[in-house]
Amino acid sequence: MTTAMTIPRHGGTGGRTAVAARARQVVKAYGSGETRVVALDHVDVDINRGQFTAIMGPSGSGKSTLMHCLAGLDTVTSGEIHLDETEITKLKDKKLTQLRRDRIGFIFQAFNLLPTLNALENITLPMDIAGRRPDAAWLNRVVETVGLADRLKHRPTQLSGGQQQRVAVARALAARPEIIFGDEPTGNLDSRAGAEVLAFLRKSVDELGQTIVMVTHDPVAASYADRVLYLADGRIVDEMFSPTADQVLDRMKDFDARGRTS
Amino acid sequence: MTVVKTSLRNFLAHKGRMALSAVAVLLSVAFVCGTLVFTDTMNTTFDKLFSATSADVTISHEAAEDDDQGPRTGRPEALPASLVEQVTKADGVKSAEGAVVSMSVTVVDAANKKMGSDNGAPTIAGNWTRNDLKSMDITSGHAPRGPTDVMVDADTAEKHGLKLGDALRTIAVTGDIESRISGIASFKMTNPGATVVYFDTATAQRELLGRPDAFTHISVTAEEGVGDTRLKQHVATALDGAAGGPYKLQTAKEAADSGREDVGAFLDVMKYAMLGFAGIAFLVGIFLIVNTFSMLVTQRTREIGLMRAIGSSRGQVNRGVLVEALLLGVVGSILGVGAGVGLAVGLMQLMGSMGMELSTKDLTVAWTTPVVGLALGIVVTVVAAYIPARRAGKVSPMAALRDAGTPADGRAGWIRASIGLLLTGSGALLLYLTTQADKASEGSLLLGGGVVLTLIGFIVVGPLLAGVVVRAISAVLLRMFGPVGRMAERNALRNPRRTGATGAALMIGLALVACLSVVGSSMVASATQELDKSVGADFIIQSGPSGPIVPKAEKALRAAADIEHVTGYKMIKAELTAPDGAKETEELVAADPTYAKDLRREIVAGELAAAYGKNAMSVGSDYAERHGVKVGDTMTVAFTGGETAKLKIAAITSDESNVDKGAMYTNVTTAAQYLPADRVPPNMMMFAKAVDGKEKAAYAGLKKALADYPQFTVQDQTDFKQGLKDEVGQLLNIVYGLLALAIIVAVLGVVNTLALSVVERTREIGLMRAIGLSRRQLRRMIRMESVVIALFGALLGLGLGMGWGTTAQKLLALEGLGVLEIPWATILTVFVGSAFVGLFAALVPAFRAGRMNVLNAIATE
Repeated sequence: MTTAMTIPRHGGTGGRTAVAARARQVVKAYGSGETRVVALDHVDVDINRGQFTAIMGPSGSGKSTLMHCLAGLDTVTSGEIHLDETEITKLKDKKLTQLRRDRIGFIFQAFNLLPTLNALENITLPMDIAGRRPDAAWLNRVVETVGLADRLKHRPTQLSGGQQQRVAVARALAARPEIIFGDEPTGNLDSRAGAEVLAFLRKSVDELGQTIVMVTHDPVAASYADRVLYLADGRIVDEMFSPTADQVLDRMKDFDARGRTS
Repeated sequence: MTVVKTSLRNFLAHKGRMALSAVAVLLSVAFVCGTLVFTDTMNTTFDKLFSATSADVTISHEAAEDDDQGPRTGRPEALPASLVEQVTKADGVKSAEGAVVSMSVTVVDAANKKMGSDNGAPTIAGNWTRNDLKSMDITSGHAPRGPTDVMVDADTAEKHGLKLGDALRTIAVTGDIESRISGIASFKMTNPGATVVYFDTATAQRELLGRPDAFTHISVTAEEGVGDTRLKQHVATALDGAAGGPYKLQTAKEAADSGREDVGAFLDVMKYAMLGFAGIAFLVGIFLIVNTFSMLVTQRTREIGLMRAIGSSRGQVNRGVLVEALLLGVVGSILGVGAGVGLAVGLMQLMGSMGMELSTKDLTVAWTTPVVGLALGIVVTVVAAYIPARRAGKVSPMAALRDAGTPADGRAGWIRASIGLLLTGSGALLLYLTTQADKASEGSLLLGGGVVLTLIGFIVVGPLLAGVVVRAISAVLLRMFGPVGRMAERNALRNPRRTGATGAALMIGLALVACLSVVGSSMVASATQELDKSVGADFIIQSGPSGPIVPKAEKALRAAADIEHVTGYKMIKAELTAPDGAKETEELVAADPTYAKDLRREIVAGELAAAYGKNAMSVGSDYAERHGVKVGDTMTVAFTGGETAKLKIAAITSDESNVDKGAMYTNVTTAAQYLPADRVPPNMMMFAKAVDGKEKAAYAGLKKALADYPQFTVQDQTDFKQGLKDEVGQLLNIVYGLLALAIIVAVLGVVNTLALSVVERTREIGLMRAIGLSRRQLRRMIRMESVVIALFGALLGLGLGMGWGTTAQKLLALEGLGVLEIPWATILTVFVGSAFVGLFAALVPAFRAGRMNVLNAIATE
């Protein structure tokens, strides 16, 4: 049994369930009566441990909402979400905050870093907040992996967009969370910088056994994933394993066409 | 027109962010208007009172009311009663009536409780005349008819629960008047607090003047159709050459005017002091407004960039911000004027609780009051917004295209640094020169210049100091809070200009507090030291505002047991002629010879004891130098109302002293030789020394001796020093109270800065919450930032203020303020208190930050 407080172990599925997070009949609705908008409509999903999962879908499909709910950033209207053995839909804000701090990593599209802290301080921030000492060897490895060793003392404003995102990736990795959630982590980057960041994410899954969930609308980004979930109108409508960019693009075009005809 | 429209929309859209600035404007304007309304109302009240109580023409003794303290003799100057008849015969006179009025009285009830007020309002005893009917109605009982009747004013009766038939004792220098209340009379207008008792004319003459054939005033009523000025001429003609003249004649208007002048002078002091404090609040408010508009402009950089990109000119952007400031000023000032009237009413009630009755019926709002309030509020706001407005105008159209992110840090440049250091440096130089000054007058100019320059200098270098000081404070206080403390420190440092301005606002108020507390405690310390050095008496008996120590009380004191000696201390006016022929009117101190032991004076020449010898006196060293007087010289002393004496100078006392500086001593028996018995004033003060070892018993004995005379107090040295300390403490408390306004505005500034920072950092806060910062940690971070800013302001303010205070003490050392005492307890309390103020200021911003939606971080526009 794990609780929200346990320091997450890492790597592979050894001795643990293959599912890192699961959602059951999750509904997220805004407003009520005639103005009620359903963002998630009875979603069931399992996020496999040690895999890189991409969530795709057109704007307003609910992909970001799904990620926010899975990550404990947003509350659900009904349904259950488990992170490993913990039912996070039942947690109060305090426990939820601890859970995010100790067991989840985040990479946002932009504004990932605190401008007052330098790169290293940003990377260790979640552990600092928790009052934990970072594992020096692990930290070194992460920093090496993302290639930031010579930039650690720089403030975010002194870093390029790609470097900033790499710092964000390093921060997400450094605390060894059970899952890293990325919300269009490469959305603000040019294709080369984006590819770099995606490569790091891929590498962290392959080499470090990290579980990653990423929301994106970029087929190229999705092609780095092991599995792609397609969302439309708040429902999971399809999935694809070991995709290529072309496959993803084709599938997206399909949905677009269907969306227009239906 | 579009500029106004956009500004109006912006103003309304950001009204929450403007709210605290509006409150700051409101408070300052309210204080100004409140002061004006309050003092105008006081003036109205006194005007009505004086106009109602003045007769068409009043005749009084020429020397009447020369002295604020009342006559030294305790007896009012009198006019012969025969004058009334003479006046009645004058042209245009319908009637003339003699009045007796004395303010050197104390009224006590059967339990010896004082009926008069302790805060300056007079106790007035007199005869009941027709003229009094103009201002008073007898509401119960009847006017005084015999020697045991007394009529009292209704306010006093109500305050002390007096009923018809109750015993009252009126203490005058001529003796006690025992009487029973025969009537109660009510003022037709507001009586601000005077206690008034009336006797019949014979009793008043006999008991208050000690003469049956005299009056203090004559109230003359004009015949129909005779103007007051003409009446005055007629009366003057009739009295020309009358015995005892010339007399002072005043028309009703002149009498009212002279009364108003006396009160007005006091009211003006109060008014300008309060307006001065309002000015400080305005100054502090400027920082708040500047910060608000700077932050609004920064937050709207993209918006402004867009406006510029689509063709707004710099001027338009600039004006747009100024129009917003104008709106803020208008709203704040209008509310402020309203609040000012409320404040005035509150002040009136406060005065009421302290015994000064003012009625809202007299509430006077002059048309100038709202005009001044509005003008001040609006001008200050717009001027304060000018710098941010100019900065807004400088925003380039490119700003629209840049990623908003967080606004760039405002860095303080080296130009600012050098200007600030230059100002601070020259201010410090002036302060140093102040300490070296030889004359208080030139020193005070230097001090003023030094204070202003160092203040401005500190404000200018504030942002730079913020970096250093905040780091230092954080190193001590925040580091122990780990990453949260570190983030709080970084946040406080990220915009030094903002932190500097916020802290500077607090600095101003606290600097004044520190400065005054240093001066105040140095005053107490210096006085205490001087007392210890010079006072040999064990006990001091002081007279109050109700006149000198009455002979009966003196007798009781002299009869007290366990006393080695009792010293009387009188002041007698005389015209002195030095051997060089120079004439000066001075007050001589006529005391018992034991006074030389009670107060040890430094002697320049001669021997002080000898000055108490027959026909001898002493002078101060300044006078001696001025007129080249030496021991052995003879002075010609013409006692006012008495004869002229030739007194030999037996001693010259040093004027390097605070106590009795410049006093000229002579023996009371010497003075008495040259004065008629009723012109020898009773004692102003008395001193007593206990028989060795019997101090306690003696103290109790003296207190008991004065039991019947509650207007006088006996104090031993400890109590006297404590009294001095309390007095200074009270004064300081009033000033602190007035400074509280400026400090409140400064605290609003801290709240404002934090609140706007929280809004500005919405995304950051969301991000931190997302990656696991708990609400508690977040709130703590904001509180710590607030505490650091507050402590920064406090440190600067206290440092600056102590510097000013020390300099002031060094300067005042010329005036006898020889001891520097820094009240560390006060300073420390203020410092620690500032930390709590910081915590308090962060309450709401921290709460709001805690409630912020985590998802805001992720919502990318």
